[in-house]
Amino acid sequence: MVNVLVEIIATDVLIVGGGGAGLRAAVEAAERDVSVLLMSKGKAGRSGATLLAGADLTLDGRSLHEYGFPGAPNDTPEKWMNDIVTQGFYLNNQRLVEIYVRDAAKRVKELLDWGLEVLASEQRAIDTSGESIASVLLRRAKESGVEIVDDVMLVDLLLSEGRVAGALGLNLKTGETMVFRSKAVVLATGGWHKAYDPNAGSRELSGDGVAAAYRAGAYLANMEFVTFCCDIMYWPPKWRGNLFTYILHSLAGGRLLNSKGEDFLRKYDPVIVKYGTSMEWNKCFVSIASALEVREGRGSPHGGVYYEIGDTPWEDYERRVTGFYRNWRYKGIDFSELARMLRDRVPVEVGPAAEYFEGGIVVDERMRTNIRGLFAAGECATGMFGANRVAAATTEMLVEGAIAGGEAAEYAKKVGMPEIDEKQVRKLEERIHGPLKREEGVKPVELRKRIQRLAHEKLGPVRERRSLEDFIQFLEVVRKRDLPKLYTVSKSEKYNKEWIEALELENIVVLLEISARSALMRNESRGVHYRIDHAYTDNDNWLREIIVRRVGDEAEFTTKPVTITRMQPPTGIVPYWDMMKAMMLAHSDVGGHH
Amino acid sequence: MSERKVKVKVFRFNPSTDKEPHYQTYEVPLVEGMSVLDVLDYIYENIDSSLAYYDHAACRYGICGGCTLLVNGKACVACQTPVTGDITVDPAIKSKVVRDLVYEVR
Repeated sequence: MVNVLVEIIATDVLIVGGGGAGLRAAVEAAERDVSVLLMSKGKAGRSGATLLAGADLTLDGRSLHEYGFPGAPNDTPEKWMNDIVTQGFYLNNQRLVEIYVRDAAKRVKELLDWGLEVLASEQRAIDTSGESIASVLLRRAKESGVEIVDDVMLVDLLLSEGRVAGALGLNLKTGETMVFRSKAVVLATGGWHKAYDPNAGSRELSGDGVAAAYRAGAYLANMEFVTFCCDIMYWPPKWRGNLFTYILHSLAGGRLLNSKGEDFLRKYDPVIVKYGTSMEWNKCFVSIASALEVREGRGSPHGGVYYEIGDTPWEDYERRVTGFYRNWRYKGIDFSELARMLRDRVPVEVGPAAEYFEGGIVVDERMRTNIRGLFAAGECATGMFGANRVAAATTEMLVEGAIAGGEAAEYAKKVGMPEIDEKQVRKLEERIHGPLKREEGVKPVELRKRIQRLAHEKLGPVRERRSLEDFIQFLEVVRKRDLPKLYTVSKSEKYNKEWIEALELENIVVLLEISARSALMRNESRGVHYRIDHAYTDNDNWLREIIVRRVGDEAEFTTKPVTITRMQPPTGIVPYWDMMKAMMLAHSDVGGHH
Repeated sequence: MSERKVKVKVFRFNPSTDKEPHYQTYEVPLVEGMSVLDVLDYIYENIDSSLAYYDHAACRYGICGGCTLLVNGKACVACQTPVTGDITVDPAIKSKVVRDLVYEVR
């Protein structure tokens, strides 16, 4: 069957993203009697970062206690907010933090009522699995009547008279474009992990929603902040990017060594090491410390450091692991080979890998962007966690997803169906078919690999002016010279990997350039943004968010004071490590990993 | 140090242009700890970028099921199947092939 006409699919609310934020938004919208369609780049509920999460869901300890878990009865909203804002080095949008603290317990309780699997709990968190969160939400979305379209990539948002009119999608299996016409759109597309190698995400995360929002004229912010998960496996190839060693390190202990055999974390302030290894602060602290070892020439052959079990007797170590992960099985992976390596004291190469993107699309407390009808939720939105995330992103996606879905539905009830601008559709189709038409030029996979390597090296956990400038120059050349020359060897439109990569590269390059320019502009160190050439936190000049907007073909950068409700930030210029220590010590008396 | 190579025989078929499927064999240098997915990645990245296999949303944790294939006739997830010698790779449902190793699930 040949379909010559572009298919137009109309819905009240279009959700882009099949992970937790998108599914939760879809459920909320569908329960308000509007038609809801969810498009997912992979299989909804079986793709995205949600599935890969360990996973814990954070909520306040008092609510957790009331739900029948030990929790922390002495917890209060004020304490939790204090902890999130200090962990974020005061760069959080405090209005969003108040919402997170207010709604987290409700959203987690709902999931429990819907059948979430509980493995364990601590003061402020329930331990479950990413699979369980995704499955519960997917089932609920189907029951609520959400229409789901899998394996469709977002090409761009469609606009009409200054408001969103839907989106253009590409069915990756058939190669057909699909026009989605909708009154409201919720972006829930997650991060842009694919810009980095190694990365801890699944393969489809290339920032398609954030880049599309930017092209449509939405504001982005905080793009310089990227959380690198520490202790991610670098080698062998089949485990590259896997976070099981991160879990092992916090669950069963062990230590990190550099190539000289030194336990390099011992060089740091004992207070920083204590908080920075026993809490999710480890992603910030250990990643920077590991990257510094590599940078100073004390790394492993594949650019990481070494993890080993240390002084812990093997029997104790193994018991702690298998108490949680029977037979060394984690998700669908049999790690008995890793167990043998650890038992025989074979050092495992681990290191930081891109895991969570604090930056993204600017939203208000109703998850609205500056474009009418366009909402964003979860990792692709920004503001909640400021400069450093310690509380769970899984809870963020639920809280923001529910608000975005509800607001989008209410908005859709009030407005008419927008017109589709056929000229925009035709122009986009012309653009995306470029790589299929070119007979020679730049190979997408080669360009992607070059970019990924440089992103890790120059826009990783440790930054400095010279390498940022080099990287920006490189990206600018790529954007202007290489992207227009991308071509595919196969001209088939059906599941053409090079074609998919060419489209993804457009997004990756624009986001990396914005991120690198923001990182260069922020000449201080704050949270996960560590500048060795500006190794201090500048509270007098930099309690500001860097905001980005497209003007013509270039990005325009401005800054705006951080949004404060209750917690007054500190003043003065403070050495970075002292600031980190102060933020750690500012934690309330509620224990646990968060 | 001599590099060990494995032969990877791959099912190729484009239903819109090919009359029938055929096999193509690639030689891939074996690195210890390589999975079937790593081998397909190697082919795509270094030898033949026209090869189609479902990986654009692969989780690589053996849970999304997206990379389910037949390896030497046995169904498995490519990301968790180790490669130690020569292999033959087929789509899991040959009657529903979209292109090469990619097939419709429903």
